[in-house]
This record gives sequence, C-alpha cells and structure tokens, in this order.
Amino acid sequence: MKNKIVMAMLLMALVSGFVFANGGGDKAAAGAEKTKIVLLVKSLGNGFFEAVADGGVEAAEELGNVESIYMGPSSATAEGQIEIIETLIAQKVDGIAISANDPDALIPVTKKAMKAGIRVISFDSNISAGGREVALAPSDSKLIGSQQVKLIAELCNYKGKIAILSATAQATNQNEWIKYMKEAIKAPEYKDMEIVDTVYGDDAADKSYREAVGLFEKYPDLAGIISPTTVGVLAASKAIEDEGLKGKVQITGLGLPSEMQHYIENGTCGQMALWNPVDLGYSSTYILARMIAGDVAGKAGDKVDAGRMGTITIGPDGNTIMGEPFVFNKDNIAKFASIF
Amino acid sequence: MNKKMEKILQNRELNLVLLTAVLLIAISFRAPSFLALKNIERIINDTAILIMVASGQLLVILTGGIDLSVGSTIAFSGMAVSMLNQYNPEIPVVLLIFLGILIGTALGAFNGACVAFGKVPPVITTLGTMSIFRGFTFVLSKGQWVTAHEMTEAYMNIPKGKLLGIPNLTLWAVAVFAVMFYFIRYTRSGREIYAVGGNKTAAHFVGVSERKVNFMVFTVAGALCGLAGVMWTARYAAAVNETATGFELQTVAACVLGGVSLAGGAGTLTGVVMGALFLGIINNALPVVNLSPFFQMGIQGFVVLAAIVANVLMEQRNDRKLLAGRRR
Amino acid sequence: MKNTVLELKDIAKYFPGIKALDKVDFTIRTGEVHALIGENGAGKSTLVKIMTGVYQPTKGTIFRNGKSVQFKTSHDAQAAGVVAIHQEASMFSELTVTENIFMGHHLRKKSGMLDWKAMTRHTAELLDKLELDISPDTLIKNLGTAQRHMVEIAKALSVDAEVVIMDEPTSALSLKEVEELYKIIRQLKNDGKAIVFISHKFDEIFEICDYFTVFRDGQYIGEGEVPKSSIDEIVRMMVGRSLNQMYPKKDPKIGESILDVEGLSLPGYFSDVSFNLHRGEILGFFGLVGAGRSEVMRTIFGIDKKSAGKITLKGEVLEMASPGLAMRKGIAYVPEDRQEQGAILEMSLSHNITLPQINGLSSFGVLNSRKERGVTEEYGNKMEIKAASWKVNANTLSGGNQQKVVLAKWLATNPQILILDEPTKGIDVATKAAVHEFISEMAAEGLAVIMVSSELPEILGMSDRIVIMHEGKVTAVMNRDEADSDNIILAATGHGRGEKK
Repeated sequence: MKNKIVMAMLLMALVSGFVFANGGGDKAAAGAEKTKIVLLVKSLGNGFFEAVADGGVEAAEELGNVESIYMGPSSATAEGQIEIIETLIAQKVDGIAISANDPDALIPVTKKAMKAGIRVISFDSNISAGGREVALAPSDSKLIGSQQVKLIAELCNYKGKIAILSATAQATNQNEWIKYMKEAIKAPEYKDMEIVDTVYGDDAADKSYREAVGLFEKYPDLAGIISPTTVGVLAASKAIEDEGLKGKVQITGLGLPSEMQHYIENGTCGQMALWNPVDLGYSSTYILARMIAGDVAGKAGDKVDAGRMGTITIGPDGNTIMGEPFVFNKDNIAKFASIF
Repeated sequence: MNKKMEKILQNRELNLVLLTAVLLIAISFRAPSFLALKNIERIINDTAILIMVASGQLLVILTGGIDLSVGSTIAFSGMAVSMLNQYNPEIPVVLLIFLGILIGTALGAFNGACVAFGKVPPVITTLGTMSIFRGFTFVLSKGQWVTAHEMTEAYMNIPKGKLLGIPNLTLWAVAVFAVMFYFIRYTRSGREIYAVGGNKTAAHFVGVSERKVNFMVFTVAGALCGLAGVMWTARYAAAVNETATGFELQTVAACVLGGVSLAGGAGTLTGVVMGALFLGIINNALPVVNLSPFFQMGIQGFVVLAAIVANVLMEQRNDRKLLAGRRR
Repeated sequence: MKNTVLELKDIAKYFPGIKALDKVDFTIRTGEVHALIGENGAGKSTLVKIMTGVYQPTKGTIFRNGKSVQFKTSHDAQAAGVVAIHQEASMFSELTVTENIFMGHHLRKKSGMLDWKAMTRHTAELLDKLELDISPDTLIKNLGTAQRHMVEIAKALSVDAEVVIMDEPTSALSLKEVEELYKIIRQLKNDGKAIVFISHKFDEIFEICDYFTVFRDGQYIGEGEVPKSSIDEIVRMMVGRSLNQMYPKKDPKIGESILDVEGLSLPGYFSDVSFNLHRGEILGFFGLVGAGRSEVMRTIFGIDKKSAGKITLKGEVLEMASPGLAMRKGIAYVPEDRQEQGAILEMSLSHNITLPQINGLSSFGVLNSRKERGVTEEYGNKMEIKAASWKVNANTLSGGNQQKVVLAKWLATNPQILILDEPTKGIDVATKAAVHEFISEMAAEGLAVIMVSSELPEILGMSDRIVIMHEGKVTAVMNRDEADSDNIILAATGHGRGEKK
C-alpha cells in the first residue's frame, strides 16, 4: 500500500518534471515567457472592436514580450463574458481588459480573477469600482472641448466667427463639451475668434441641415461650424456642400469616419475627431503590461508610459482618461472608414 | 367690406395666404434677408418632401382616417433604396426611384389591407405599423447608416440637380401636386374618397365601396412615402434609422392648417400645399430669427395653433355671411 | 283664470349679417297650449333658445310673472321654471333614467352626498304619473324614441317647470304614442302649466292647441285662438299665400306590374311581406314607427339581406346583393334620414347629384366634366333646387332643398322604380308641396313609386294603393277609394280586416 503511494508520487514528480522541463525549454527558445493579455470585448464581429484588437496587437509588437489575445462572446451579453472569464481564470492568463456588457454583473467573476492573480482593467464600457483595478475612458469633456476649438482654429487660420451646431438643447454631454469650448476659446491664441451662436439640430438630419443653412443666412461671414454630434456634422457638411460654401465655411466636429469619408475626402471637412478604438486597444494593452511587469501598481496618481499615446495618469478610483480624441483627416480617413 | 373682398375671404385657402403673408412680414422684421428670392426658393425646395407626403396624408384624412406610419415608411423605403444603391451602384436611378415607390406602395397596401379588410381602425393600424416599419428599418440596416461616400453621385443628384434653374426636388413636388390634383379632382376614385369621408352610409347607398377606397388611400399614401424616402435620403445624403421621426405629425399639421377636416370629407390639395408651405416657412425662419432654442418648439406650436384658430374663425364668419345671403 | 306667466316684448336677435328675429311679441298663459307655427327658418328655434337662456336677445325684454328678467344661462331659465323638450332628445344614452332626469339638479343628502334613493323614488313617481311602464334604473339606450321623449317630459316635470316648451314632440312618435302624449299635455294643462307646442302638422295643432302665434322670416305675423281659425287661414299666414291644393294628385295611368315581392322576410324586422307594384302607380306604405316598412325597402334595395322570399323585377328573379346591383337594375332609394343617408353635406351639389352614376360618367376612371355638368343642370333644374351655384356644398342649403338634391341624385340614375322613405319629413309646407307635385308628375310619366310615410293625410292624398303594415306583417292593402283614416288606423294597429287586393 505504502509502496503504491510512493510510486504514485514518483510518477507525478516525473510527469511534472517533464512538463516543467518542457516549458523551460520553450522559455529558453523565446528568451522569456510571453505575458498573455486578453482584450475581452462586448461581442465579436463588430468593426469597432476589431479595431480595438488591432491596437492590442500593435502594442504587443512594440512591447515585444506580450501576446495579445482577442476574445468576446458571439452576442453582446454579460453571461457570455462571464463564461469566457471563467475559462481565462482556468487558463491562468496574466491580464484581462474588458469592455463590459454590464457594469455590475461581471464584478463577482472579475473579483475571482483578481484573487487568482490576474490583473483586470476595463475600457470603453467600464466595470464599476471594485470589479477592476483601472477603468480607461476614451476622453473627457475638457479635452474634447479644447480639441474641437483647436481643430476649427487650424482650419480657419485662427480667426473668424464660429458657430456650434449641437444635438438637443438638453443633451448633457453636448452641453458639457460646449461649456469647455467656450472656455478654451478664451485662450490668447484664439483672440481673433469668437463663438457667435449655438443652435440645435435635435440629431435629426433635416432639422440640423436647416439650422446650418440658417447659420449661413444669419452670419454671412461665418468662418466655421463645430458640430460635436455625428448627425449634425454630417448634415452641416452636406449643407456647406449644397450651398457652395466649401472653403468659405469650415466644419469640424465629432463624426464617424465611415459616415464622413465623403466630406473629408472632398475637402468639405478638413479634419474631425473621435475616440479611436485602435488607441483604446493599444492603451489598454500598455497599461496592463506595465502593471503585470510591476512598473506601476495601478493606483491613483501612477503615471503609465503608454508608448505613442504618451503618459497616461491613473485617476482616483482607477478612473483613467486616455487622451484627446483621435483626429481624422484626408490622409487617414480611408483606412479608418473601413474600420468604423 | 365690399362684395369682392367678401368673395375672396370666403375661400379658406385665401385665408391661409393672408396668414402666410402676415407671418412673412413678421419674420422679415427680424430677419430682412428672409424674403430674398434665393431664400424663398430654398424654402419651397425644403418643403417639397412635406408637400408630397402631406398630399398622401390628405387622402387618408379625407376618408376620416389618419396615417401615423408615414415617417417610418419613408425611413424604410429610403433605407432599402439607399442600400440597393450602396451594394449595386450599377442600378440606374430611374429604377431606384421606381423601386422606392414600389416598396412604399407595399407598406401602404399593408396598412390599407388592415384597415379595409381587417377592420382595424386606422389609428391603431398605423400606430402599430409606425413601430413595425421602423423596426424593419433597423433589421434591414443592422443599425448602420448609408452615407455620402456609399451613395453614387447620380443618386445624390436626384433631388439636387436643376432643370431651368429650378431644383429637381421642387419639380418632383410640382409633379406630385399635378398628378394628385388631377386624381382628386377628375377621377372617379378621387370623387369616391370624398363620398366615403363625407358620409359613409350615403356612399354605401349609391354603391361606393368603402373597402376599396380605404385600401386605395393608404396604398397611395404609401407610394408617396416611398418616393419621399428616396428624395429624403438622397437629399441629405444619409439613410439613417431615425429618418423622418415625427414627420407624421408635420403632415397632419399641414393638412389641418390647410383646412382639411379630421372628421373626413372636406379639404383640398391646394389647402394642404399652402399648409405645408406655412410650416416650411416657420421651420426655416426659426433658425434665423434669433430666438432662444428653448422657445423655438413652443413658438412653432403656438404659431401653428394660432393660424388654425384664426383660419377657423374667419371661416365661421364667412359661413354666417353665406347663411345670411341665403336667408335674404 | 289664465294668467300670463311669460311675456316676450319686442324681442330681436341679430347674428352677424342676419336678423334671426325682429320685433317679436309672444305671450304665454297658464293652462293653455300655445302653438308656435312657422316654416323652417322662420325663427322658432331661435325664440325657444331665447326663452330658455341659450341665446341672449339683442333687443327686447322678457317678463316673468310681470317682472323683467334676464336668462343668462339655461340654468337661469330652468330656475325660473322654463324648460324646453328638444326635437332631438338630448339624453345620455349610457346613463339610467334617474341619472338623466336629475342631471344638473341632483338631490343631495345633508352630508353633501348624492341622494340616489330619493332621486330614484322621485323618478318612479314621475314615471307613474306619466303612466310609463319603465324602471328608473333602465339605461336610456334601451328605450325607444317615444319613451325617451316621455323621459324628457318627466325631466321637465322634475324641476317643477311652469312653462314647458315642446319642439316638434311628435315627429318621432307613432300614432298611439302621440295619443299618449296628448293625454299628458292635457293633464299638464289641467295642472295649470303653460305649454308651448311647436309643430308642422295642422291636425295636431287643431287637436291639442288653444292658441297660436305665427312667425315668418324671423318676424311676428299674427296670433289667434285655434278653434276660431281655419287651416287655410293659418297656412296663408305661414307662407304668405294660400295653398289651393295641398295634394296635387294627377290622374294615374297605371300600367303593367313591374315589381313583385313574395314572402319577403328578415327575422326580427318583418316576415312574409308580399305586394306588387305597377308602372305609373304611387304605392303608399303606412304603419306605425317600427312596423318594418323602412326595413322592407332597405332589403329590396340590397342594403339588408333577406332571409327568405322572392323579388321579381320585370319577370326576372333577383338576388339583391348590394345597392350597386339594385341601382343597375333601375331601382332608386331615397332614404328617410337625409342627414345620415342622403346628401353628402361637405360635397358640392353637382358632385352629390352625379355620385350614383360616376361609373357611367367616367371613362378609364377619369370623369367627364362636360357630361357631369349636363346631368347636374338637367336634374337640378327639374327639381327647382334653389342655390347660388351647382358648386356650393350641400350643407349651405336649407333642409327642403337638400331633400331636392337627394331626389335629383336618384332621378338622374333614370330609375324605373323610385322608393321614397318619408320624403317630406321635417321640411316646410312650401317645399312639401313641391315634392308632392314632383312625385305626381313622375308617376304620371310612368315611374313606379313606393312612398313610405307616417303622415296619414299624405298617404291618403298621394297614394293609388296603400299597403299597411303592423309589427312586421302586411295587415291590409287598400285601393285609394276604399281607404279612409279610420280603416287605415285600424289596420296599422293590428285590427285590420286582413284582406288583400
């Protein structure tokens, strides 16, 4: 009996020894074992997240010793994501970055993952505090507001009358951005520019179009329009084109590359911005890799060196802002239009 | 007041012309450039789609019904045709317009069948299809938009091009007006619409089929929405899922402004066109008159309501005059 | 003995552009039934509205028991004991008799709660007094027209009205019900109430009224005691001229049989109805309200579907499946309720007249305006419709002219059989005469006419033969010379001889 146990233990030792030896051999071959970082997205087959995955691969290549794994449920449910996280715990990956289908439903399983030594952050659609270490938001109102002013200033040579075409008068995010635009334009470099009007297109194509035409009527010397809404920037671009004002009235805003490709390529809209999913995947991978390597703890105030994105500072409660929205122009629009 | 003036004022459409003139003068005080020829042309062009769809709505309201699904029908047919254009750019635009009308006709016929043969009241039917057609639009597009670079130049030029200096869209509206005017005034079916709307029982007694008329008006309204869907998506170079949301109420407002009775049986196409233009003027004036956006919606409603009340009051006065004339 | 309770002096009511009433005097005394007589549009309804506080007079004074009063609302008038019972009973059909009677003047308990017990008891008493066999808890919608009218009267009594105004109270009542109404009116009179009785029908006026006042075109024309006046005198006052001949009956040239109806039945309405109709004949259909006459006509015209029986038209057995088919076979039907079934009010006269034959007036769905105009003018003129133009809407015409439009519409279809359901109901004397003359003419030209009517003088004056129905069955068919009011009434109330000719 006793012999049998000894035999078994020996056998196990042998087997494990073989396994370890084998693993060691691999490690030796690659120089070091690669850190496995998973980008877990809401669902597969969505162009936006495909772009996120591209960013992850880009960061992994730059970092060298990181393997970027792209996963997601086939339909956008929290259950699907929970199942995948369970598997990932069993597989002992090093880090998971999640765009969550539900801010709370994932917390138990992500806690379990963290207990198992896996570093967890969220991006895009974040998990509530306690369920992740860092939550990465694409941008914040202040950055968006100041960038929009900068973009229109570049287009109209830092001078002239600017009008804002918003969605509805009650849209909180729009009003926040507009508030910061009005603040940003006070800066000395914008001294020759003024915001003359804010109009509301209610995110309806026809009303936005009409409001844009109304602006041309009201301000014959209008230099530019900022429209921080996808419907508005599209309708205003169409109105500028139809009224033959291309080159006279500039337009920028927040728009989807695929929707705006036409106007950016024909020069109606010189440049516009939106958070870039590639950057999101890229930054998430960088932050996780730095945390796993022990370079940063993932606590408030930590400064993460995020490659081409510069330094990203972890905020209170792990809430973190990636940076300015990504700028699209003639040179890169075709590439991104095919993505999202 | 002299006889001539009395005669003029007896006409509800002319009342509306008068009110429109008052509105224009009021606007020009705040925005003098509003009356520029170019701007008037722009307003008419901008109202063209409303005119098309409101004339379809007119037929339905004349029978005593209402079509709340026009906005969704526009959205669906617009999306369907835009996607056809996106994936099959070789299809000629003439065929696309025809297909748009065909799709709208099919959706309208569905409404008509529910009302005429299913005996479901128009409000209920179209309240349902309003959501159903909008839902179909989402299913069809998978939530994605079709925008300028996915559309062909030829498609976007359907409303934009000009003939003899007049925008095509305006010409389309004129064509719809002409056809509908003829249909309402000079065809048997047009007459039957008024008969059913004016008095169902009496119409039945003279052998007019209420079913046929109900089916027909919804189908025609759908066809016009189909055409409008093509025009809308081509004009704004964007087919989105929210296209023409709330448009049904604009078309009803245009009819009511134009003197169409919601009880059915009474109303003219010229009245509806005037009503639509009145709304178009307000829609285009609001952005330029420098009013707080928070007031705009309220003011729009107020002006429309005031116009309707003024119109009704003027008409009542004339009715009394007419009555007096009869008694004398 | 007879005290003046309500007096109107020099009353005028102007609407913008219209003098609806001018220089009107009107005096109402207790214990008297006062007939208010005038053609449609004479201003009777306006006067009633002034008496009941719905309208305020432009000029003039109302005296109640000798004191000048102002009725600012109908509530004021009611409080002063002046109540009107309207032509079209204004009742809440989903409420009970009690709730209707006490609407607007509910009885309350001391606590302020409604006292339904007391109200129900009062209602029962009122119904008892009127000898009405209905429960106070019956819903109005379950009552017949006549019963509703009685409830209206009970309502007037419930507020202790001293002046009761009845606006054409008999128009929807059967003969038997009219008799009951007379009884109640006499009872009210004996109780010392003052009654204003508005009617078109002279037999009623001479039966029940003591005094009369005549209006014409909004003006007071004259007054007098009924027993001391003649019909001709009153008619002359009403229309401004004497009507020599009330019923312009032409000598009939009765031809071959054209329509043969055998054993026609529709369960719940009529059964086993048989009769025939000849060219050039006016066949009167008489019966009490609810005898099934209109339903027979609707069935012949294909609106209702028969359950049994045979309709033979010129030797051809027909299944009348739809009004369209009946029209094509040469039948025209002018329904009783011209508001609901006749003219389309929002449509022009021309379009109304041509509506039944727009199929024939169009090719490939497009209307031929020239032909349309021709038809309109031919039949419009034939009917002597008085209108500014053929393009004006039917609702701008008076009731009589609207009726003419409906007649023109059907005549334009060139029918062989013309069915008229109550052709002169609610229209004034002058138009009535014109319609009668026209019917005679059409019959003389060989048209076969069925005339359904509840007016005995009209039936007797116009018909060549009379079919009398009672409770869904034909009880008698009489020739013109053997019919008189007595034997018709007997047959119509189910006591006929049952013989058929």
